[in-house]
Amino acid sequence: MERRTKEYQPPKWANRFLGWFCREELLEEVKGDLLENYLLERKTKSEWRAGVSYWFHVLHFLRPFALKRKTQDSNFNIMYKSYFKFAWRNMQKHRMNTLMNLLSLSVGIACFIFISIYINKELSYDKFHREADSIQRVVIDFVDDQGVRIPDATTPPALSLALEKDFPEVEASTRLFPAWGSKFLIGTSDQQRFYEKGLIRVDSTFFDVFDFPVLHGNLDEALNAPDKIVITKSMALKYFSKVDVVGETLTVYSFDNKPHLVSAVLEDIPDNSHFDFDFLTPLTFYWINKNWGWFNFYTYIRLSPESNSNEFENKLQPYYETKVTNPNDKNNIIYTQPITTIHLRSNLKFELGANGNMSNVYIFSALGVFLLIVSCLNYLNLSIAHSFKRLKEVGVRKVYGANKRLLIRQFLVESFLILIVSLILAVLFSELLFLNFDELLGSKISLLDADNLSILLTLSLGVLAFGLFLGLYQALFLSSHKVSNAVRGIFGSTGKKKYRLQRGLLIIQFTISSFMILGVLVVQRQLNFIQDQNLGLDVNQVLVIENISSVNNLDLFKSQLLNIPAVESVTSSNGMIGDFYSTTSLGYPNSFVMNFVNTDPEFIETLGLELISGRNFNSALEVDKQGLQMIVNEQGLESLGLELGDVGRLLPLDKQKGDSIVYGTVLGVVKDFHFRSFKNEIKPMALFYNDDGVNFLSVKLATDGLSESLEKIESKWKEFSNGTSMDYAFLDQTFQTLHIEEQKLKQVLLYVTVLAIFVAMMGMLAISNITIQNRKKEISIRKVLGASLSHISFSLTKRFVLLVIVANIIGIPIAYRVMTRWLEGFAYRTSIDLSTVLIVFGIGLLSVILTAGLRASNAGRKNPIHGLRTGG
Amino acid sequence: MKKYQLGEFEEIVLLTVGVLYGNAYGVSIKEEIEKRQKRKVSVGALQSALRRMESKGFLDSEFGESTKMRGGKRKRYFKITALGKKALDYNMQTRLDLWNQIPDVAFEFKLC
Repeated sequence: MERRTKEYQPPKWANRFLGWFCREELLEEVKGDLLENYLLERKTKSEWRAGVSYWFHVLHFLRPFALKRKTQDSNFNIMYKSYFKFAWRNMQKHRMNTLMNLLSLSVGIACFIFISIYINKELSYDKFHREADSIQRVVIDFVDDQGVRIPDATTPPALSLALEKDFPEVEASTRLFPAWGSKFLIGTSDQQRFYEKGLIRVDSTFFDVFDFPVLHGNLDEALNAPDKIVITKSMALKYFSKVDVVGETLTVYSFDNKPHLVSAVLEDIPDNSHFDFDFLTPLTFYWINKNWGWFNFYTYIRLSPESNSNEFENKLQPYYETKVTNPNDKNNIIYTQPITTIHLRSNLKFELGANGNMSNVYIFSALGVFLLIVSCLNYLNLSIAHSFKRLKEVGVRKVYGANKRLLIRQFLVESFLILIVSLILAVLFSELLFLNFDELLGSKISLLDADNLSILLTLSLGVLAFGLFLGLYQALFLSSHKVSNAVRGIFGSTGKKKYRLQRGLLIIQFTISSFMILGVLVVQRQLNFIQDQNLGLDVNQVLVIENISSVNNLDLFKSQLLNIPAVESVTSSNGMIGDFYSTTSLGYPNSFVMNFVNTDPEFIETLGLELISGRNFNSALEVDKQGLQMIVNEQGLESLGLELGDVGRLLPLDKQKGDSIVYGTVLGVVKDFHFRSFKNEIKPMALFYNDDGVNFLSVKLATDGLSESLEKIESKWKEFSNGTSMDYAFLDQTFQTLHIEEQKLKQVLLYVTVLAIFVAMMGMLAISNITIQNRKKEISIRKVLGASLSHISFSLTKRFVLLVIVANIIGIPIAYRVMTRWLEGFAYRTSIDLSTVLIVFGIGLLSVILTAGLRASNAGRKNPIHGLRTGG
Repeated sequence: MKKYQLGEFEEIVLLTVGVLYGNAYGVSIKEEIEKRQKRKVSVGALQSALRRMESKGFLDSEFGESTKMRGGKRKRYFKITALGKKALDYNMQTRLDLWNQIPDVAFEFKLC
């Protein structure tokens, strides 16, 4: 009998639970009953079933008669009051420490909040459409005769209608025809009109595919007649100063002064839509509905929910090949993109707007998590280090009868206090960040927005869990020491094991820091590399004026501008750096895609291109203007299969309808120049002497008196342009914005890295403080026996140096791999060389010397008598 | 009379305590009920009924000896008090009265 009771133990946790809630005076008897019952059941049932039954009975005790009476027990309240009092005193006593804790933790949390909201926004693109998952964009990649695939977001106008007709799973489809860089003159009267670029022409089925929130008007009939126009709220306010403007008239002067009826007012287009517009009008070019050869429309379709998008995609290619008329187009590859992936993963030519970048999202999320880890680890480290100082206190508490539970409560109260305060600080910090960085995020954001509350909630829970862990750890760790040692402030004889955890944590911190330092250095190097690269053109002091189509007499305007002394040269073109849209198929017998710009002879001089062979256009020669004479860049020459010697010869350029061959001449060759972001390689480019679609005027200015000459240009503009305002930008700034994503990355990375290093150094400082504190006596004895200052400093610091070296050895290779991947995204890139790695090492070692080293030499300089007298 | 109010379960427990005279404690009562009534009784429900009746004064209890079987915990033995006996009597009497009031025809079940 006796042995059996030993063997069969009822579930321990059930007993604990019972003890927790059951009244003391009942407990003995109840426990006895339950145990007896359990033992009886064990005879016939399996252990598991008996255990379940035991739990069942225990839970059945959750009845009013058995519960403990929780009264307004003064003892309970007083204890908690005292915990708060002690926590407060402790924070006050170690003000610096508390401040460091609060700062590093709240800054870490704030950065994390900021980054997670940024990422949340990036991931939320286009998800606001009701059936976002079934909306797809159909795109066609060009494939030229050499088999080179040129990704392209545009499709022929016939595609949308054909898909809707021939595929039952396509529930709705619409075409979008954007402004393609041109601007439309829109107004309520001749006195009040503006140039607008946000006008998209769409099919009347637009709202069958997309869901943009509507304020006024009926979307079903909003686009069913050619003279209807849908506008956004801010446009309604701009033109009519009120929101409900359905039924009002807007004149689109660019469409033969045709008056349009406002049929609906939409809420402003959300930031997280991959395309943006202010006006929608119906497509009116019906004659193109059968055209499979043009590529200038965007096709969006909505599939039925039960259809499979992969199956649909597989049917597309054969279908497309039966439809196209031009045999060359049969090589093209047609496919679909889910609308929700466009913002982050699609990087085609002619995207409707600047898209984000998945790898940046990855980098940012890694940064956020890293920083949070680093600051949490740091807090952990600091508070553990700090708790050594409180060993005595714990000892005394124990002597006076505090048990483990009471100690745990006390430390929990303290860690929760700090964490909650830093959480509140972090929310304030992040609000500040949002105020200062709304440019980076592209919109106004607050943590208190409904969408972001879940982030806050999750984070708070996480932080509280961390606090729980921390408080428990501290209490258990400190109460595990012998009372007799603790009251004297002596740690148990754990020896070297003592700081193993702290060292581990420090290694993690410094690994992350070295990772981030390397990252920052590489991004910095790459950006410098880009800026130092020979652009092939001179973007400084070039003023670009848009919308010159509204100038009455362009030639006169140009010559008047040249009369201004500061104006060195003027050129007009149909595109600008970063804004070149035009491409054409060129080359015979092997055709390829050639970018081109329609411009004039001054283009080369104004943009500082370098003519390396042949001649410039000559305005005196009519033949130069026929569109068959061109100037190409080196890439263009290579793609044409020509050499410098071929310049000036008549060459076959293209095959027209009926197989007749078009001949043309390459007049000259300019050195390659970057006309897009550095992420892209330099592509073939041709200049034609032509004023088709010319809309930009570039003005090269002298260095001095910039604002003065700008004023003169503006006053000239007013004379020529019927009162429309002048839109202009400086080319060097435009060029900078092409790399805005990388600039953002660099900025954020730099801040975060500085923070991480700072936080890691703080941890190092705290640990070295503790080490020195504990070795005071040893240092003093060494000194008395004749050790030099450098010897003492070295012996105290070497461990930390080792630690940082280990951290670097772990961190650098990982960072190296990650950053190499990142660099591969650039066509023109720098490399990660040894010096970068050495700098990372250097920064790590410097931080050791600044913290541990300084503390050590400080300690070594002290009079040994103090150490010997008081040292523990 | 409100004074002698007994619930159905309470009545069974009270009766069982009587049956087990001298050996009525938690588990034995539970087993006895389970054996006789063929119903499952949770320790919690039983204890709650016992406490309730003790506070009403129908039951009295005292600690017994501790046994190894119960992990060193003492048993609490229950005994019916005089008031408890009265309550049982009262209950039985009211039932009997009711039985006697039922006219014979009420039990003459016919097939249709």
